[in-house]
Amino acid sequence: MADIVHTGRATPVAWQEAATTVRPLLLTLPAALGLLVFFVAPLAAFLVYSVLTAGLFSVTGPLTLSAYGRALGTELNGVLAANSALIGLLAATATTAFALPIAYWLRYAAGRWQLPVLFLITASMFASYLVRIYAWRTILGANGVINRGLESLGLVDEPLGFLLYNRFSVTIALVHIFLPYVVLVLFAGFRPLSPALLESAQDLGADAWQRWRRVIMPLIAAPAATSFLFVLILSASDYVTPQLIGGTSGLLLGVQIQANFKAVGDWPQGAAISFLMLAAFVACYGVTLLGLRLLRLDRIRWVS
Amino acid sequence: MGELMQGSLRSATAGAVTVLAVLFLVLPLAVVVLFSFHETASLSFPFTGFSLRWYESVFASAEFREATKNSLIVATAVSATTLVLGSLAAYGLSRSDSRVRDALALIFFLPITLPGLFLGLGLLVFFVGIDIKLSLATVAIAHFVYVLPYFLLIAKAALDRMDPAIEEAAADLGAGPWTVFFRVTVPQVWPVLAGATSLAFALSFDEFVITFFVIGPQSTLPLYIWSGLRRTIDPSINTISTLLMVVTLALFAIAFAFTLRTERRRDRAVPALQVPA
Amino acid sequence: MSDDQGRLIIDAVSHRYGRVAALRDITLAVEPGEFVTLLGPSGCGKTTLLRIVAGFVQPSAGRILLGARDVTRVPPHRRPVNTVFQRPALFPHLDVGENVAFGLRVSGVPESEIVRRVGDALALVRLDGYERRRSHELSGGQMQRVALARVLVGRPCVLLLDEPLSALDLAIRLEMEVELRRVHRETGATFVYVTHDQREALALSDRIVVFNQGRVEQVGTPQEIYHAPASPFAARFVGDANVIPVEVARASDGNTTIIVGGGRMPAPRGAGIASGPAWLVLRPEAIRLSPAGAGAAPGLLGSIEDCAFRGAGHAYRIALAGRQDVLKAEVAAAPGAQLPLGSTVTIHWDAAAGALLQREPEKQ
Repeated sequence: MADIVHTGRATPVAWQEAATTVRPLLLTLPAALGLLVFFVAPLAAFLVYSVLTAGLFSVTGPLTLSAYGRALGTELNGVLAANSALIGLLAATATTAFALPIAYWLRYAAGRWQLPVLFLITASMFASYLVRIYAWRTILGANGVINRGLESLGLVDEPLGFLLYNRFSVTIALVHIFLPYVVLVLFAGFRPLSPALLESAQDLGADAWQRWRRVIMPLIAAPAATSFLFVLILSASDYVTPQLIGGTSGLLLGVQIQANFKAVGDWPQGAAISFLMLAAFVACYGVTLLGLRLLRLDRIRWVS
Repeated sequence: MGELMQGSLRSATAGAVTVLAVLFLVLPLAVVVLFSFHETASLSFPFTGFSLRWYESVFASAEFREATKNSLIVATAVSATTLVLGSLAAYGLSRSDSRVRDALALIFFLPITLPGLFLGLGLLVFFVGIDIKLSLATVAIAHFVYVLPYFLLIAKAALDRMDPAIEEAAADLGAGPWTVFFRVTVPQVWPVLAGATSLAFALSFDEFVITFFVIGPQSTLPLYIWSGLRRTIDPSINTISTLLMVVTLALFAIAFAFTLRTERRRDRAVPALQVPA
Repeated sequence: MSDDQGRLIIDAVSHRYGRVAALRDITLAVEPGEFVTLLGPSGCGKTTLLRIVAGFVQPSAGRILLGARDVTRVPPHRRPVNTVFQRPALFPHLDVGENVAFGLRVSGVPESEIVRRVGDALALVRLDGYERRRSHELSGGQMQRVALARVLVGRPCVLLLDEPLSALDLAIRLEMEVELRRVHRETGATFVYVTHDQREALALSDRIVVFNQGRVEQVGTPQEIYHAPASPFAARFVGDANVIPVEVARASDGNTTIIVGGGRMPAPRGAGIASGPAWLVLRPEAIRLSPAGAGAAPGLLGSIEDCAFRGAGHAYRIALAGRQDVLKAEVAAAPGAQLPLGSTVTIHWDAAAGALLQREPEKQ
């Protein structure tokens, strides 16, 4: 067999490597540019606005922190922040509490019903955001389904007024909006949790409660915590639901932010409130991640 | 799947919660649809009779037709752009593995984590700042940013799941990268891309929270509903809502069907790789 | 644990899934400290039986007794049996030590004792010092050993093993077989092992229960099953075997012979079948071959169809003259002794080496 002849020109390995890893990334360039220009830049600009001077529906030059002063100083903002926290926590808790058994059922007990039920739940997510809020207005109203039903059954003489235009109606609508999303996230979280794991635990002597506490909850903690937080912030920033069915007590920070831009015209304050809200959210998220990391629950490495 | 003994009680309870949840999610929407056919202008029970009068009046409304047309235009532009740019981006992300890719992926998926309010306000501020007039075009741009991450999520997942051996075999047989993409990859994943595009269309068609801030004097269908909610209190709103729901649900069902089809195809094609549960 | 607690009695257990009968009237008694293997092809019901014993499945009929206690209605977490599954199923959020300690923590064993027993269990499976490792850092064999330690730490009287080695590479499997035998000896627990691999069953077991389509075909020691299979199925499934239809007849000199392959051969001694149709069971290593021709030993005639080198010997496939039957033979290697393809050979075997089984006439 002939000896191998060296041509004296070897392809540099580094260049080859770059070609296979960097070249595909070039394909992402158009989309990335689009996002850079129309997402990153606007967001940055928006946050910068919080330190500019307010004009009427505009901003002007000098940098100032007065917007933050107004944001933190206005009593209404504080009230709304507290209200948003309350409603957000209620909505997030209710959503997660209901989504857990649903995701559990879908994963382990659904059998041939899994696909149809998944479809129904996801489909309701696509039945239009506005329409769902509107639907609750008709259901909870004085002449709505619930009140008419109770009246015809003779259980009440007058329609229940406390169902609509308050924190309760806003919370219910928010749960309706976010429940499918949390179910999907938790269902995805349950996917790698094979029945064999639960059977092992049972085989080793763990009863139902112990299995939940020692196996299921640790493994589902990360997805559950993340979706809880997301429902929280999405609720707090909702400006449609309060305006349609919130009345006076069911207002959220999102309304105030939106009002600053569309009605009041104090853009820097709106931006300041937004920044504070986002900062609070990032802080909560950071604390949660830290907690998960301390419990070694943040990045579970599943072995198939 | 084992028959965990007393678990049947627990499963039954969880099943009951699921049934209640599904009813909770679906019934309000059913009520909206029901009253769109109401004979009278009342939105409360008792339900007196069926009629198509509201459908007639809605379709006769020029504003409704205009708003629907605008929504269709925007959604079409958005889904077309997303399909092209998103497919390329998903392929690029999926077939590379550097740390740059991870940073890029972060930017791509960030919009999902942000509430629409901030996205809308950011763009409003941006457009005003560089003196672009608000119009359907600005709406389309906003929708593109909103929809792209969802498209990427689905497309990238499908591309990741694809067996790399197939593309390697094509390259081995002499196909260049673009040939591989169009003759091998796309035929494999086109149902997922179609489904994701359908989803993109639905998301754009129904979008309100961001559109509210970046739209000009025109109106889209969701905005038309919004203004209606502040004004009228009759079943015509139910009618428009029902029409909107039908469109988005149909699109979602299409997307669902396409995604299922890909899963089934994949499972059938590689039975040897299926590991017993 | 008292000696008796390791006794497992399966009493007339039957189980159906819908209209499909997975198990038909299985009765079996396993002595304390025995290593019993349930052997059979996929779908024969052996795993179902194991899950019934473990408590994950309620049998349609019958009882399970552990020691003297009827545990049929007792849920899995309260039965004194433990199971090692086909896949390790280690808890991904716990390290190795915590995985092994899981059952002890659930029962409320004090901390100091946990540390000691976990150390002992890991030493038993030769994974000393692995307490702080995470599951994803381990190889397949190591994960199964952790799974084994996890169940052994509770000192169960009865251990159920559901094809625990089937997901491992051959080399690791052979190593693990040695480990399993050692662990069984050192713990003295009763092992009920499920597998479809007959080689594994022969190597590991005190007794083998051969399953076929929900029924027990045969129960016996590995030697009994290998040398005296009770049915063609058992013969074919355990060890490679030739199972040939023959006719038993009396020869003119009064001895029993069998008519096979166009010739006559002496019947196996003590066959118990005086005349009529029968199956002849012949292990490949019992067959002797020599080139046909003058001076060859008496026997059947056949030609070599295929020859495969097996390291320790050759595996031949021989077509019997004038018949459709093919014999499989394993002949120990001798230098230069390979018989050429297509050549005619004489086939014979020790009369004692075969076994006869009943055969229904007209049904081949």
